This record gives sequence, C-alpha cells and structure tokens, in this order.
Amino acid sequence: RLETRARRGDRSRRNSIAMSIMSYNGAAIIAMVGKNCVAIASDLRFGINQQQTTAVDMRKIHKIHDHLYVGLSGLATDQTTLSQKFKFRHNLYELRENRKMKPETFAHVVSNILYEKRFGPYYAEPVVAGLDPETGEPFITGMDLIGAMAPTTNFVVCGNNEESLFGVCESMYKENLEPEELFEVIAQCLLAGVNRDCLSGWGGVVHVISKDKLITRTLKGRMD
Amino acid sequence: MARRYDSHTTTFSPEGRLFQVEYAMEAISHAGAAVGVRTDEGVVLAAEKKILSKLLETSVASEKMHKLDDHVGVAVAGINSDANILINSARLSAQRYLMTYQEPVPMEQLVQTLCDQKQGYTQYGGLRPFGVSFLFGGWDKNCGFQLYQSDPSGNYAGWMAAAIGANATAAQAILKTEYKEGMSLTDARRLATKVLKQTMDSTKLEAEKVEMAEVSWKSDAKQAVAYRVLKETELAELCDQANKEAEAKAAAGKK
Repeated sequence: RLETRARRGDRSRRNSIAMSIMSYNGAAIIAMVGKNCVAIASDLRFGINQQQTTAVDMRKIHKIHDHLYVGLSGLATDQTTLSQKFKFRHNLYELRENRKMKPETFAHVVSNILYEKRFGPYYAEPVVAGLDPETGEPFITGMDLIGAMAPTTNFVVCGNNEESLFGVCESMYKENLEPEELFEVIAQCLLAGVNRDCLSGWGGVVHVISKDKLITRTLKGRMD
Repeated sequence: MARRYDSHTTTFSPEGRLFQVEYAMEAISHAGAAVGVRTDEGVVLAAEKKILSKLLETSVASEKMHKLDDHVGVAVAGINSDANILINSARLSAQRYLMTYQEPVPMEQLVQTLCDQKQGYTQYGGLRPFGVSFLFGGWDKNCGFQLYQSDPSGNYAGWMAAAIGANATAAQAILKTEYKEGMSLTDARRLATKVLKQTMDSTKLEAEKVEMAEVSWKSDAKQAVAYRVLKETELAELCDQANKEAEAKAAAGKK
C-alpha cells in the first residue's frame, strides 16, 4: 500500500493515514461533578497536521465567569473563535440582565450557536462545567459539534481519545468527592487517558470550582 | 417664521440651523442633571434622579447610569427610551470590537460610533433625532481616563469636567471655577456632589435623589479598571458633607 502511495506522488505520502478534521490538532477534556463542586481538565498539546507538535501550552478551557468554564476540543481555530463568541454573548447577557449566566442557560446558548451552523458546522465539541451562581448546584454537559447536549450527573469527556477517557473515568469516578479528592481523580483520569494518545498530552491543566474557592493546577505527565 | 423649517429634521433653516436638533436639546434641558469629573485616578459620574416615588420598585438597574463595558460607563440626560436604544447599540459595538481585536474598545472609538449613529438621524430618513445627551466616563490604555460628552446632533468632545441636563450651563460655570488639575478621586466625588446640589431644586441633598458611578482602578495594583455604582452609604456620606459645606458657607455669608 505504501508503494501505491509513492507512485501517486510525493504529496500523498505527506498526508496522514486517516485524516479527520477533528483530529487535526488534538485535545482531551474531562469534566466531573463532586460534592458542591465541579472540576474540568484538559491537556496542553497543540499539534498541526497530526504529526507536528507546535505548542505545549495551549489552553483549551476558557473562563466565562467565576463559576462557569467551557472546554473545547476539535479544530483549534474553531475552538478560539467559539470561545470568543461565547464571551461576546455572555458579556452582553451580563450587561443587559445584570446577573451572571447559569450553566444550563449557557449550555443552551452554546448549543444554539453550534446548531446555527448545522449544515456547515464548527469542528469543535464543547464541555460546559459550572455552578449555579445562586444555589451553587453543580452542572456539567458535553455536546457534539452540532449542539446535541448530554447533561449528566457524573462526568463528561471529549477529545481524540474519547473511548479511553470514558473507560478510565468509569473505573475511577466516585460520587460526592470533596474538591481535593476530585482533583486527584480527574488528574489521574486525564493523564491515564492522554498517555496512550499521540494527539493529546504534554501535561494538563485542572480547574476545581467550588462556591468560594478555585483550585487551578498544572499537571506534568509524559511530555510527548 | 421658523415653523416653516422645523418639521423636516433633515432641512436647514435659512439661518443655517437644524431646528429638530435644537428642539431635541431643549427636551434634554428639562431632564435630570448629570455631572462628570475626570481625574488621573478615575472618572466620576453623578446624576439627579428625576423619577422619585415610594411606589417605584427599586430594581437593580439604575435610571441614569449604565455600564457599556467593563471599562466604560455612561450617564444619561433626556428621553430614557431613546437612551436605551443607543446604550444597547453601544454595548453591541463594544463587544464586536472586543471580538475582532481581542482588546477593549478605546473610548473615543465607542463614542464616535455612537455619535455617527446619532448624526444619521439628522441627515437621512426624516426620522427625529434622539433626545439624549450622554456623559461617557472610562479608561483605555492609549489615553488613560477620559470623559466625553455627546448631544443629539452627534457632536462630541472630551472634557475634564462637564454637565448635561437641567441647569447645565450653571453647573458648567461652577465646574470651571472649582475644577483643579491633578484632583484626587475623592475630591472629584465631592466636587460632583457639590455641583449637583447647587443645580438641583431642593436645598438639602438626599442620597435617594442622587446616583453616582465611577470608573477607577479595581485595586492599588492598577492592573484593571472597573465600572461601579456607589453604594447608598457612600452617597449618604457625600451628601452629608455637601450639605454641611453649604450650610457653613451660608452662615459665613450671613456674617
């Protein structure tokens, strides 16, 4: 098969074996619910054309307000544009309604923005994690690239190595974990998940959001 | 004689006046006063509340002061419904700039965009102009703290201290004598309260009749600015001070 490709010309050899737009840059994101807190974690790798690693400090989790974070996987340029659009919408909401968005409301806004491009979508899959600004109740949801929400009460994952991340979270997750315990679990899940995936890795970032406290830590894993 | 030229907003009179624009400014001179003072530490906006009634539900939103973005606030004088349209437009404009350039909109740009919109209503469409004047207070990294005033014609100018609404000329005259370069933010707040007191109808200034907001550094670290509305307690203190000063002055005058 390699010979066939060589005969077709140099250019075809440079192309990746199985090219998917969603694995062009590489990402891995997990969000988990704990006791009156949520945690969201992502890797830091930024690659181009799958094989080349261009940056190792690429933030994929964006803050919307103190108790609401959104993580985006998929095509990096869509990640950036979408996070800017979300900030735009939330800023206007806050100015007009004089209050911060609830996580569910924000998730619906995200879903709406994605569905608007139903037949020419943004190649990004978001994960929303936050606490209700008034009651402090945790909320997480994942979505596909055209905005289908899947809210759960335990964890959501997205990225290139989804199956692996699902497996690891399923085995390590426990309900009602305190913030520090939740940090340990999500950090271990993320590292275990990304270590076997060449498209995500180079460490990670974890945010654990509780009503009065925010824990943000950077993880050092297999730097490859 | 003037009547012949004032029904169409987009026509000049023989003397070169736009009557509808002037009539709009006349409407504003009946509205509650607003005063702005700019210092190197921040910009203070103070306004007189015109709608006072025990039956009024005090909501979070204010009558005269509005936040346009984290670094800009605006005080309104004139027809509130007209103001709401323009404020919404300004907020969208600020967010669009932020989206494109990933940095907060410079003040003059925001003011200019809004004024361009106001000007449109004096040249096209045959619609009446907006009956609002604004005092924009804010900060940007190019020019620091700034204060701008705009009127229905779409004209705007940057000021060290300015007043709009009822008795604006009188307020402006007081500001001219009392404003000093290099004022501190605390002095600016006092000056704004003092000027407001002197232009309002009542003899004693009460905290319920006044609204104040400012754009200043969030902390001494001077990392970020924030727009904030002053609390009732702060207002009460400032009003007390202004009242005492006025009484002392009156007593001294009598002697």
